[in-house]
Amino acid sequence: MLRLSDHWRSATTRLILIYGAFFVVWSIVLVGVVYWETNRYLSRVVDEIVEQRARYLTSIDRTRLPEAMEATGALDLRGVMSLGLFDASGGYVDGNIDSVPADLPPDGVIHALPQGLDRRGRAMREPARGLAKRLESGELLVIARDTSVIDQVAVILRHALLWGLSLTVIPGLIGGLLLSRRPLRRVREIEAAIEPIAHGDLGRRLPVSGRGDEVDLLAAIVNRMLGEIERLIVEVKGVCDNIAHDLRTPLTRLRTQLHRLQETGGGEEGFAPTLERCIVDVDALLDRFRALLRISELEDLRRRGGFGSVDLGEILRQVHELYAPLAEDNAIVFRLESEVATKIRADPHLLFEAFSNLVANAIKFTPNGGKVCVRASMEAQGPRVDIVDSGPGIPSGERDAVLKRFYRSECGREISTPGYGLGLSIVSAIVRLHGFRMRIGDNESGGARVSVQCWIDAMAAEHASR
Amino acid sequence: MARVLTIEDDAVTAHEIVTELTRRGNQVDWVDNGTAGLDRAVGGDYDAITLDRMLPGLDGLAVITALRDAGVETPVLMISALSDVDERVRGLRAGGDDYLTKPFAPDEMVARIEVLLRRHRATDRETVLRVADLELDLIERSARRGGSVLELLPIEFRLLEVLVRNSGQVLTRTMIFEAVWGYHFDPGTNVIDVHIGRLRKKVDPPGLPPLIHTVRGSGYRLAASE
Repeated sequence: MLRLSDHWRSATTRLILIYGAFFVVWSIVLVGVVYWETNRYLSRVVDEIVEQRARYLTSIDRTRLPEAMEATGALDLRGVMSLGLFDASGGYVDGNIDSVPADLPPDGVIHALPQGLDRRGRAMREPARGLAKRLESGELLVIARDTSVIDQVAVILRHALLWGLSLTVIPGLIGGLLLSRRPLRRVREIEAAIEPIAHGDLGRRLPVSGRGDEVDLLAAIVNRMLGEIERLIVEVKGVCDNIAHDLRTPLTRLRTQLHRLQETGGGEEGFAPTLERCIVDVDALLDRFRALLRISELEDLRRRGGFGSVDLGEILRQVHELYAPLAEDNAIVFRLESEVATKIRADPHLLFEAFSNLVANAIKFTPNGGKVCVRASMEAQGPRVDIVDSGPGIPSGERDAVLKRFYRSECGREISTPGYGLGLSIVSAIVRLHGFRMRIGDNESGGARVSVQCWIDAMAAEHASR
Repeated sequence: MARVLTIEDDAVTAHEIVTELTRRGNQVDWVDNGTAGLDRAVGGDYDAITLDRMLPGLDGLAVITALRDAGVETPVLMISALSDVDERVRGLRAGGDDYLTKPFAPDEMVARIEVLLRRHRATDRETVLRVADLELDLIERSARRGGSVLELLPIEFRLLEVLVRNSGQVLTRTMIFEAVWGYHFDPGTNVIDVHIGRLRKKVDPPGLPPLIHTVRGSGYRLAASE
């Protein structure tokens, strides 16, 4: 399953290879420096020995020279010293070399002799360092010493380098490749886990090893995101279902009426009344769509352009004025108890819309002869508005749900009442936009109590800005 | 007969507007882009203009701005798919007289155009408004029908004032809500109906010919006769 190209693409492998190359270069430089320093040191040692011999042999009497040369030769157990005495014309006089090396000028200064010298009784030439000095007698004394030691050191260092590198780099690379397999395998696992998610199985999550490493962190982030996506998809699906459900009823009724019109041609009463009812149905449908659009518009709204200082009491008074006749027609006692004189930061249009919706809802669900009360009071952090009605109330299990878009209560409230479920969603969107908070509860009479805290709730504000 | 210029790039919407306005006895010219629209509007001596907010060439806002800069005061009904309050404010601030969001009901559009046509002709200087035997004193904020004074709540007076100012015109519930309360959202149809109902009880007592008429499917109209 893991191909070599995958290995190469893996970040770990690439890092290991780059690091390995750097390590090799660095080792070579290091060994090179060691070699160069050793070479210099050993050359100096050789030079000193050669110079010392030369000083000794040139200083002693000419007659004792062959004897001294022999003694030097005898002392040279490893046979690395070359000595030769030649006459003025270069002819052999004494010593263990046959001729003066061509590349050695008779200046008494040490020169490197990479070609070596012709030694008696030795077939191979060894690289050497040496000097040639003219004696007072006119003869030429040649002293040289093999540098094979230096070469041996170089060989040792080269070997050390090769061994060292092969023992570190090769296992290092193998280990690195093995190490890089693991994250790569994890990525493959994640890939395999994502496949069904991409095909719509949103309940699945990425595997987390529990070691808390980088891959785990990433997987946890993706899992959080998947959770949010799942929630949203489920919500959208719920909304779609609800919309379809909600619109089917008026559309079916509309179709039935049109069908009847087609069949009977309006009958005795003519077209007008049926057409009127059709228009009412279509209007209701359009209202519902308008409300839906309004909610998404509000949810998209991120502007604070319409915000300003708003007299909450005045807004509530206007809402009361707007709905008082409607309540009276339904024989509902509609009271406004406002003791709030402060101004709040809000969008007056949206605030009016929100409280209108709450009041309209309360009136709608309160039976004739009931009570609806709008109560504004001051709390420590700011004003609070309660809309209390004597209707059937909202079951505690459904209080969160009714704030969601297009929710429809299954019991308690009449399903046939048009527009239910949208009003509260609009209010919820407006309240969220302001950073306020809305609570749904019940009151002594068993009806609903909707409370709006008109101050910026830190958590709600964070939610709104998200 | 009023002359109306329709500046609208969408042929279907334009057809709807032209048909509906022509049916109500107006002479309607249609142009489908902003540049030509501006030319016609400046030179054409129209009584009202419907102007699409988003147009190819010259944008609706640019047209209305140029029009007002040129000193043309023809009333303009902005028609736009943008329903945001900000957009409405922008449209009205640029010089539009009214703002209608797409999609719209034709009678709503016609009602708004007719109000604009009427507003253009009438002057707002009057302090006493009269329709048949109904009389509204705008300074005293009092109303009388025939000889008797009507006891109106402030909100009822404002409602009646809007109806009287636009007497003979059909006002939709949305138009009434916008004019009386000054808010732009849908308060639910029966709220306005209830307010009209209470006003009607006071303005049209039994025995007198009714002044407030219900226009089926559209809204209300205040007039001396049906």
